[in-house]
Amino acid sequence: MPFPKELSDFALPDKAALVIGAEHPAGRVAAAALSEAGARLMIASQEPGTDEALAQTAEAVQAAGGRAPIVRAQSATIRADVRATVDDVVERLGGLDVMVMALDTPYYAPAEAADDLAFDRVMENNLKSVWMAAQEGGRAMLQRSGGAIVVVSSVLAERGVPGASLYCAAKGAVANLVRALALEWARQNLRINLLETGWMTEEGSPALRQDEFATNLLKYLPYKRLVVPEELAGALLYLASPASRFVTGETLAIDGGLLCRV
Amino acid sequence: MKSENIMILIVMDIAPSPDYMTCINARSKGSAAQLSEQRGAVLVAQGGCAGGATTRAIGDRAPGGRMLSDDLKLDGKVAIVTGAGRGLGRAMAIQMAEAGADIVAAARTVEQLEETAGAVRTVGRRCLTVRTDVALSQQVTAMVAAALKEFGKVDVLINNAGAGEESFGKTIDQISDEDWRRGIDVNLSSQFYCCRAIIPHMVRRKRGKIINIASGYGLRGGKHNYMYACAKGAVLQFTRSLALTYAGDNIQTNCIVPGIFPHNERLMAFFKGGKFIPLGRGGEDSDVGPLAVFLSSEASNHVNGALIRIDGGGLAGGITPTGVAPALSA
Repeated sequence: MPFPKELSDFALPDKAALVIGAEHPAGRVAAAALSEAGARLMIASQEPGTDEALAQTAEAVQAAGGRAPIVRAQSATIRADVRATVDDVVERLGGLDVMVMALDTPYYAPAEAADDLAFDRVMENNLKSVWMAAQEGGRAMLQRSGGAIVVVSSVLAERGVPGASLYCAAKGAVANLVRALALEWARQNLRINLLETGWMTEEGSPALRQDEFATNLLKYLPYKRLVVPEELAGALLYLASPASRFVTGETLAIDGGLLCRV
Repeated sequence: MKSENIMILIVMDIAPSPDYMTCINARSKGSAAQLSEQRGAVLVAQGGCAGGATTRAIGDRAPGGRMLSDDLKLDGKVAIVTGAGRGLGRAMAIQMAEAGADIVAAARTVEQLEETAGAVRTVGRRCLTVRTDVALSQQVTAMVAAALKEFGKVDVLINNAGAGEESFGKTIDQISDEDWRRGIDVNLSSQFYCCRAIIPHMVRRKRGKIINIASGYGLRGGKHNYMYACAKGAVLQFTRSLALTYAGDNIQTNCIVPGIFPHNERLMAFFKGGKFIPLGRGGEDSDVGPLAVFLSSEASNHVNGALIRIDGGGLAGGITPTGVAPALSA
């Protein structure tokens, strides 16, 4: 089904798109949105062994009206994997126009309990993976006429959360990585923006536990509820498409207004 | 824990509001069982309602189901756009009309408003023009009343009217009391007057979208830029407080922060053709339209209190001149 012509700014007709972290809800939503807008897709994992979730994302892509995506299991923290994924998308889709990264490995623990191994793993999964994908994907996009990169992150990039110091540090680093890359690549027509999610209904989130934290958090949220992954779709497509042609280095939060709070 | 269980727990935890129940009933057409058959439907119903109506089930967009493009379209919505006679306001009005909205175009100059109205009608939408000086609260109140009389409702308010050029440039000792008040009134009080006039209507309907237009000068300072920078900075704060206050009434308030949009040759020369902007050009009015469409649409129902910059990357930097990088070391 063609994307409605009155929304042509948001359309991605036949664009080559790569979603990394497609096993996550945000990755699934991104893949479906890009597909609906007309993009041809490769979906790749953050971690191997997530085939079932990748298959669900592939289903969501087709339900959104798109062709079956190319599915690629990979590890986003292994350079050779990421490079091979980007090479593969360029070869099979004829280039790379849009890349969405939904790379996320939450880590909650008291600071004094985290060892150096934890530090390395949190940084590798949340920061280095974004850096490597941006580098490899960016290289491919710069070889053509630029493109658009959307990095999905968290409002924890903007504020401190007790018990999440390493995670906050990694997310904060990603936010400023995006700003610097935006400036570096702006003149080559390669845009990169950040989409920050509020507390989301995602498996493993501390917001879903039945404890004091989760109970108080729900009362604290402006909408008294968590963000549903599907609510990221519009913003993802805005940032990935020519609708945001004059926007780069920007952060768009989907948090119901949480960042407005004292 | 299985995700369906988690979802149900959340619904119960937050004590569903009457709106939420209405939404569930409307969506399920009386069949809760049918609803629960859809994967994740309970969560989506709950999620969709507090932030507005969304009928998508998680991960599923069954053929014939609601698509993202359905959420992005503005069919049947009525939008007030102030400062709609020219520049960003006109561009937003026309692009929103293209996306399906009927427009209430408010500005001081009737001839310019009629041009905007002509363009809106050309794409097949209705347009009411109301001559308004938004710095005068009685005129704002009358404009909103006229909009409600004509259309019976208002879904979107875009507080775009402002006066950049006349609100900066003088040295501080040259600014009269009247200059100061006018600068603050036209750029800040105007947005307050419009919100005050329309929010009770939106609260009654339990839905609404407010889009305040600020400026990069609301986040950074400028030489000889007092009223404009102060007023636009206040617009950001006004946005945040409205966002928190009316989230529970399903009113989303957001702020578009335009960077450099040179609307005439004098400004184009002042900003040196945009060569200090990372993307290498100044903004074009039509660049803002898609953002206005997104923020007016059901696709942004959980975007609230956001300041969204549209500035060619200008505000991502600022501690080195644009286009200059430190010398590379080996």
